[in-house]
Amino acid sequence: MVAVAATLLFVSALVFVVIRVLPGDPATLMFGTQGDPQAIARLREAMGLNRPLGVQYVDWLAHAVRGDFGVSIQYDVPVGSLIASRLPVTIPLTLLAAAFMVAAAVPLGLFAATHHRRAGDYFTMVISQIGIAVPAFWAGLLLILVFSVHLGWFRSGGFDGWGAGPWPGLRSLLLPAFALGFFQAAVLVRATRSAVLDVLREEYVRTARAKGVPELAVLAKHTLRNALIPIVTVAGIQLGQLIAGAIVLESVFALPGLGRLALGAIASRDLPVVQGVTLFVAGSIVIINFAVDLLYGLLDPRIRYE
Amino acid sequence: MRKLVPVALAALVTLTAIGSIAPAQAPSNLVVQTGTEPPGLDLTATPASATAAVVLYNVQECLVKVDRHGKIAPWLAERWHTSDNRNYTFFLKHGVRFHNGRELKASDVKFAIERAMDPETKHPYPGYYAAIGDIIAKDDYTITFSLKEPNANFLLNMARQGSVIYPREAVDTLKTSPMGTGPFKVAEWVRGDRIVLARNPDYHVKGLPKLDRVTFRFIPDPNAALAALKAGDIDASIFGLGPEHVAELQKDARFTVTIGETTNDVIMAMNNSKKPYSDVRVRRAITYGINKPEVVKGAMFGFARVIGSNVDPLNPYFVDLAQAMPYEPAKAKQLLAEAGYPNGFETVLKVAPQYYYTVRTGEVIANQLQKVGVKVRIEQIEWGQWLSRVWKEADYDLTIIGHAEAWDISNYANPKYYFRYDSPKFQEIWKKSEVTVDDKARRELYVQMQKMQVEDAPVVFLYIHPRLVVAKKGVQGFWKDLPIPSADLAEVSWAK
Repeated sequence: MVAVAATLLFVSALVFVVIRVLPGDPATLMFGTQGDPQAIARLREAMGLNRPLGVQYVDWLAHAVRGDFGVSIQYDVPVGSLIASRLPVTIPLTLLAAAFMVAAAVPLGLFAATHHRRAGDYFTMVISQIGIAVPAFWAGLLLILVFSVHLGWFRSGGFDGWGAGPWPGLRSLLLPAFALGFFQAAVLVRATRSAVLDVLREEYVRTARAKGVPELAVLAKHTLRNALIPIVTVAGIQLGQLIAGAIVLESVFALPGLGRLALGAIASRDLPVVQGVTLFVAGSIVIINFAVDLLYGLLDPRIRYE
Repeated sequence: MRKLVPVALAALVTLTAIGSIAPAQAPSNLVVQTGTEPPGLDLTATPASATAAVVLYNVQECLVKVDRHGKIAPWLAERWHTSDNRNYTFFLKHGVRFHNGRELKASDVKFAIERAMDPETKHPYPGYYAAIGDIIAKDDYTITFSLKEPNANFLLNMARQGSVIYPREAVDTLKTSPMGTGPFKVAEWVRGDRIVLARNPDYHVKGLPKLDRVTFRFIPDPNAALAALKAGDIDASIFGLGPEHVAELQKDARFTVTIGETTNDVIMAMNNSKKPYSDVRVRRAITYGINKPEVVKGAMFGFARVIGSNVDPLNPYFVDLAQAMPYEPAKAKQLLAEAGYPNGFETVLKVAPQYYYTVRTGEVIANQLQKVGVKVRIEQIEWGQWLSRVWKEADYDLTIIGHAEAWDISNYANPKYYFRYDSPKFQEIWKKSEVTVDDKARRELYVQMQKMQVEDAPVVFLYIHPRLVVAKKGVQGFWKDLPIPSADLAEVSWAK
């Protein structure tokens, strides 16, 4: 817990300093090129930007530990409710992308490992290489062109919410989730292939095969389960990457998610929002890592935590 | 696993089929795309054109209005009167109601304008109201403004975004759900995605608005906006598509493309306080070294109007000076030699890629200036940094940006503005123009200022950024030109 708190504290201090060091303050950005210098100065004063940096940070921290993350400069809405309003986009998007990622990567990695140094293996590696090389935003635009513009199956962008049932929401999220997940899968394919290959060389696999255990059972029971620990480790890291990748794809698909909120907040130097989103994402990654640690124990009963 | 694949595919096909037979959009609704989300909806707190696009004239209105032709027209005031250009009496329309149902009275006008004048309210345009002395509400429908001195822009300032009239009881919610007398009410703002406006059934102009519902969708990426238009997810794009999309969309029978004028003059500013640009010969050389029609062709695909001064073609005092300093590389070299730079010099051009046209324009200009010996290095910086380093601190050699505000010649009379152009003669003419109410005399002053801008070349006046509206066939009533940064949608409708 102490480590988690220290991580979050460090992240918040770092973001605070970086945003404040960047040239351009929220008052100047709010007025753009049409600002009257006196009006900007008054706004700076009202925003409390003239106070020393340390005082501003301690003030923010004192409120944050009580669950008050401040009010967005741009939207004039509490940061907590602003973040909460974006979660119905970002959480399903990330989970869908993770589902696409795992559904594509594990079977493909398994296939490549079982066809080691044969056509299937090379083919899978080429596909995975393309996945690593292709930027997600480009894949997103390509998918919009095919599935929205030409086929009209999915929405090209925007999000109508879940109020009208699951389909309108899914229609907005499936394409970005696919772009995000499928191309993130490329790394996981390689990790799965490598982990499975290691296990396939184990003597107990050879013994199982010698005993006449069906190949599917060998793969599912003896191989995959034992290869899962490195796969879960990489998948956990990838999940963090998915949250980061969502920033780009939310812009391409004009989705009102957490990533786009963060991007807009950085551009307008909306520090309370940047701080809030950063802490939320950092906290989520800490939780994911914790969940991965717990999974180790489930996957391998020899692993125990004191 | 093998059995699951066809099942999943069947489910996907069924789901997509359900999606594709969703009911068609009612013709009284319109979804328009805009590139930038407003940073709050309070026109008395932000000068952002993104806010004006949504709120001005759609949700909130002023005593008078800049119409689609750029003329000042009576609006909440059905007429006005002045005998000495110092005392203006406005006669309010009867029966105008705010969105909360209460009738607009002269006391509301007095409250809104006095609040704008109050330094404590952090109004973005305090200068608009500096000339106002007293505001007297004579009765519920008559209000008089007494000016300390004649102000030629008084009526225009009363039509601008900072001068909207709202009920005093709604002052605390201006930033999130502004209330006014406009044809539409703010129905919903889903931050990051859309703002929905709903018809005001009690609107004071009969027959307007023509639409029941307008949704402003924020799509920042021009390619994504193009895809949304082609996929049918939006009905029109009003701010967002670039000139690169025009040729393709003009060929597409599903859309109507409207190209008009704006007040957005794109300039290349030169830091007049810094060598070598403190020498007028260098500034003139740079101007002669730029082939503006080629810049428009290369950066704007030919869809922009070349200009020669800061005054835009929508301004009644506009003088076409586009050819006043044409492309003459030999003359540019000669002027550089006279100024002591026979071999040219190296310089840095700072641009903010948030505004795509600045980068493209910079690339074409860098190539052209190289031919007269000026080596331009382009430095791309983020918008916040541009505002801080270039606009605020004048830490730059060259920069390119569009100035969207109308009637902004005053920037050239301000020696502290980032151009750092300091001409006492220009400042004197401008001051005179502000207090000269006679149209003929004022026009003469504006002509003088425009000619001085050519002579002194404080910046390179490049082109007017075009207004570009792309809409589905059947959508009609958009303003062709943009004399004020409002996306007035009151008269927009679907053809029957």
